[in-house]
Amino acid sequence: MRLVRLVLAVLVGAIFVYAGVLKVCDPMRFASDISNYALIPWSLGVRVAFYLPWLELIVGLALIFQRFFAGALLLTTASVAVFIGATIWARAHGIDVACGCFGSASSNLTLTWHLVLNGCILAALIVLWWIRNEMGRTSQTST
Amino acid sequence: MRASVLRQVVILIGLAFLPAIGQALYFRGHPGWQKRPADSSEVTLAQTKKWGAMVLWVDARPNEEFARGHIPGALALNEDDWNGLLPQVLAAWSPERKLVVYCSRKSCNASHAVAERLRHEAGLKNVDVLPGGWEEWKENAPR
Repeated sequence: MRLVRLVLAVLVGAIFVYAGVLKVCDPMRFASDISNYALIPWSLGVRVAFYLPWLELIVGLALIFQRFFAGALLLTTASVAVFIGATIWARAHGIDVACGCFGSASSNLTLTWHLVLNGCILAALIVLWWIRNEMGRTSQTST
Repeated sequence: MRASVLRQVVILIGLAFLPAIGQALYFRGHPGWQKRPADSSEVTLAQTKKWGAMVLWVDARPNEEFARGHIPGALALNEDDWNGLLPQVLAAWSPERKLVVYCSRKSCNASHAVAERLRHEAGLKNVDVLPGGWEEWKENAPR
């Protein structure tokens, strides 16, 4: 169980670090991707574009190094759920946006692949929550 | 337990603010900070009218939207069926023609993504984007 937790946490953490680094390097492009969703004004979007990549980077590192683990798990789950929700919302409203999840690297991914990728990350996070709860229950029983 | 998770969330959110503020201060004078920077490859509808028959329209919307209506003479080329649709665009292209890519409306990003791939993957020059897309063309179409 510990090994599965470690592998999944490193995998999801690495994805978040990768996504964060790409966006940190080109915040204006990410601001443009946010703006395409037409959910918030540019002035707010550009501020989000400067903050969110750093949060992704830090929670990714927290998952990899197993520090502030539960907090990082909560933030990553919430952000993936928001990414999936925003993508579906945009498509439902006829806005054919690039999700911007991985900066310039994701511009060639179709919406379907974005959803598949985010769905896989969400599934891994759900497994991590489950393992965390199981391990917590086991340690309570043994004490 | 719940309080400790929340404390971790607050710490991670706070930690991300530090580098984000630093980066935002560094970018403060950037012209994109106040409003979205214009893309140099964007063209206006008036420009495309001046080019007349030299324009080769490329419709980056999904096939079903293309089937519902498109700019007369436009060729469909979207990322969902890139390999299937690219040959017809390459066959119609010649060095003197101006390739103008469009998608649904100002908020969409598919036209930029397709234009980028045409420039870098297909190696085409003279590739521009009509930012207002199909919506702008419809509003200004001769009745």
